[in-house]
Amino acid sequence: MMAYIFNYMKEVDATAIIISTARARRRHRDTRRHSLEQIEGDGSPRVILLEGDELIIGRGNDAQVRLTSKSVSRHHAILRVRGTDCTLYDNNSNNGVFLNGVKVHSAVLRDGDAILVGDNEFIYGEG
Amino acid sequence: MAAFVKFWGTRGSIPTPSSWTRVYGGNTSCVEVRFDDALFVCDAGSGIRELGKDLLTRKPVPKELHFLITHAHWDHIQGFPFFAPLYVPGMKIRVYGRHAGDDSPYRLLSGQMTSNYFPVSLRDVDSRVVPDYLHEGKRDIQGVRVSAFALNHPGGCFGYCLSKDGKKVVYATDNELEIQAGDVFPDQTDSGPLRKMPQELIELARDADLLIADAQYDDEGYVARRAWGHSSCFSATDLAIQAKVKHLVLFHHDPEDTDRGLDQKVLDCQHRATRHGAPMVVSAAREGVELKL
Repeated sequence: MMAYIFNYMKEVDATAIIISTARARRRHRDTRRHSLEQIEGDGSPRVILLEGDELIIGRGNDAQVRLTSKSVSRHHAILRVRGTDCTLYDNNSNNGVFLNGVKVHSAVLRDGDAILVGDNEFIYGEG
Repeated sequence: MAAFVKFWGTRGSIPTPSSWTRVYGGNTSCVEVRFDDALFVCDAGSGIRELGKDLLTRKPVPKELHFLITHAHWDHIQGFPFFAPLYVPGMKIRVYGRHAGDDSPYRLLSGQMTSNYFPVSLRDVDSRVVPDYLHEGKRDIQGVRVSAFALNHPGGCFGYCLSKDGKKVVYATDNELEIQAGDVFPDQTDSGPLRKMPQELIELARDADLLIADAQYDDEGYVARRAWGHSSCFSATDLAIQAKVKHLVLFHHDPEDTDRGLDQKVLDCQHRATRHGAPMVVSAAREGVELKL
């Protein structure tokens, strides 16, 4: 298509308005897959791709990311995807959730954030 | 008792939407502080727009909001006309002056909603926005002790201390510590001794669970913008160390501060605190982060 347009421009008035058919093909953020890379702790190393709009990290049998450490509560932390953002929540855990070394109640995550749940460390990826 | 602090706008001077501000955020000053059901909004910079949208999704939607405005500069009031709860019937917004009859913060917010600046007047909104007052800089509001204190900033500025049941938050942005301390900014080396800080401010911040402090510059940036009314992050760190604060949050990021630069600022200030033996957490205010005290 581009070759055609350039040839066309050579043959006709170069100042003519060119209607291009080229359109942006973005990977919009709300279509990208969020991920967690576990780099420390039970089950590491592994990469977890978020399926659906919610993911539970904990010691409970129904946690999607199941950890066995006693420092981890049954439903310790929750990740929720809303629109383009993935938000981390401390689900009233005993030992808290740490984001880049700081204890947080909740936080909108950004690529490369380090999450500590008990003695398990994850790196969040925006995809 | 549960106390929460959430950051909705962290940037100073002007909104800075950019690929390099995506982590810490580009919206100007707005911090939500909650003690149980008492909800305080510290400043109304552009970050307040997202706070407003969020408030209307909560169950139940809060019906009474307490506004503590530090001063009139644009980056602290510019978001107010876009605060969605303004247009919700039944919502009551109290805007506090520092003493009885001081309706200057209310007039600031209403003054930017005249036709020259914005198409909707504060008289025409559906909520009730009313001036209210601290008493000689202090007041108990829904069981929360609120006190205001003067800061060093061109045109004047006030910080706020909020406390309840032993939990204490200090919001002290737009403040030039170096000049407030008596213009004794001698060393620009991280290995130097603790800098002299204003004793009154040390006492105000004493043992705070959270100190949200102006840290717009590093030392090099501060020297280039002396008397602009903002502090070096290292001076903010020294204030927090001397006040034995538990968690220092660097706030009012410079529009030129990149996410990478702020990551480094945090590391440098944390290193300084550690070197002085202070068991203190240091972080940089980041949009969308909520802390529980």
